[in-house]
Amino acid sequence: MPLNPSEAALPFSHRTKSHFPILFGTCFAVAFVGSWQLAQIQPGLLFEAEGRRNMAKFIAGMFPPDLSVEFLRLLVVPLFETIQISVMGTVLAVAIGFPLGLLGTASLAYTGILHEVELTGSPFHRFARISPYVLARGVLSVFRCIPEFVWAFMFVRAVGLGPFPGVLAIGVAYGGMLGKVYSEILENLAIQPSEALQATGASRWKVLLYAMLPQAMPQLVSYTLYRWECAVRASAILGFIGAGGLGQQIELSMRMFNFQEVVTLVLILFLLVAVVDFLSASARKAIV
Amino acid sequence: MYRLEGVTKVFDGTLIAVNHLDLKIGRGEKVAAIGPSGAGKTTLFRLLNLTIRLTSGRLWIAGQGVGELRGARLRALRRKIGTVYQQHNLVPRLRVIHNVLAGRLGVWSLPHALRSLIRPREEDVRAAHQALSQVGIPEKLWARTDELSGGQQQRVAIARVLLQNPEVILADEPVSSVDPTLAHGIVKLLVELSTDFHKTLVMNLHSVDLALAYFPRIIGFRDGQVAFDRSPSDVSDDLLTALYAGGGAGAAVEDASYAVESIRSCPPILPSH
Repeated sequence: MPLNPSEAALPFSHRTKSHFPILFGTCFAVAFVGSWQLAQIQPGLLFEAEGRRNMAKFIAGMFPPDLSVEFLRLLVVPLFETIQISVMGTVLAVAIGFPLGLLGTASLAYTGILHEVELTGSPFHRFARISPYVLARGVLSVFRCIPEFVWAFMFVRAVGLGPFPGVLAIGVAYGGMLGKVYSEILENLAIQPSEALQATGASRWKVLLYAMLPQAMPQLVSYTLYRWECAVRASAILGFIGAGGLGQQIELSMRMFNFQEVVTLVLILFLLVAVVDFLSASARKAIV
Repeated sequence: MYRLEGVTKVFDGTLIAVNHLDLKIGRGEKVAAIGPSGAGKTTLFRLLNLTIRLTSGRLWIAGQGVGELRGARLRALRRKIGTVYQQHNLVPRLRVIHNVLAGRLGVWSLPHALRSLIRPREEDVRAAHQALSQVGIPEKLWARTDELSGGQQQRVAIARVLLQNPEVILADEPVSSVDPTLAHGIVKLLVELSTDFHKTLVMNLHSVDLALAYFPRIIGFRDGQVAFDRSPSDVSDDLLTALYAGGGAGAAVEDASYAVESIRSCPPILPSH
């Protein structure tokens, strides 16, 4: 039976569309109830007598924060280690993510107006164009799907304790994220300037250099700086599993139940993150 | 310069934008293309500057058949064709000098192109300055392109074509985004420059008055075909009325062909041919 044109134009009819919220709501409700039980959520525990006592002890043990000069002096090296891990990790992430991101950019690799005239080639030609793209996308998704924490575990086994496995972990995991986002930024640019440069006889590399990268630069830099902020936080956490930096100190102090030191460390971490936030925000404002 | 035999462009298997077009444009000729929106003029221009591939028919540019051209030989042929677009198609964040020098990208090596972005060579700066003087805005050499007015940006785009130094200049509605007084200036500039430098000029114009005033040959397009092809003195009001009559339906086709283009450029759908 022929549909009327307005119905045919839509990918779904109004009837199926109205089912979606109910379906979604039901799924959410089931997931919520199931998770509540499986995750053993018992808010009462927080307020039982023993729980209250333990918490009071924990909080009381935090004060006053340990601000003694000897302890602070001890923290100078881990603090710089954390910053260095985050900077080197981000640099490595860019070194991994940028080339893979370019390979994984569809508008550069095989489709769209920059390939319109060329795409009539043999199946072999097409395959040769598409396979690096698929490969790059695959590598990027493996890199970013495994959390930096897990990468760090593996790298600690591979290269031993210290800041280096932290750098590798951040570089690989964030390289995957940067590459994905870089390619999406490049794919979503206005294509007209690229088309114009291609029409002058410019190769794809030159189109990238003169049309795509200049247009994308603010977004690329801004996202990279945001990732660096995340890397600062992550490098602190990675210390917990032996990748150096402030995290390692937090872990040590925790294990010795020295909560006064823990509070100092958390304060320092907080200040560090705030400073990094401020720096990258002003850098982003300057470049747009 | 151009020879077309039965050139046809079909978008997405159904939208016929250019339909069995036969056309010859000689070296050094100046031709204005007019016609309602959706007549396929823009599609024709994108065929003529080798941005899109024809569906069927044969096309020769500067005596060279455009068949299965690809890679370096395709780029070499593209270098001979300069295009001025309706929306300038400049890179807004780059300085004017880099947008102008982008006209040389076809002949530059990649290292030269990269170095020029950081620090342009002395002779390149002089060439860009000269081209900008020819279009009347030499003082804008180091300005950021997005700080310029629409008319100035179109002049930058023309300067880019001057640096490219092609054999033919295609101008696709170069003045529809500037006001009428500026429009006269820019059309006149393009006609004079192509006369001075012995370039073929093909210009797609919304304004019939501009076409009749500046061009010795007028081609009327309608429904992807040539409706008439004659000198301005032979273009009667009746012809023009017939050309633009009931143009509303055709406009949808042109829009649709753009829609198809933008769908195609979306990953990961492969073009079907």
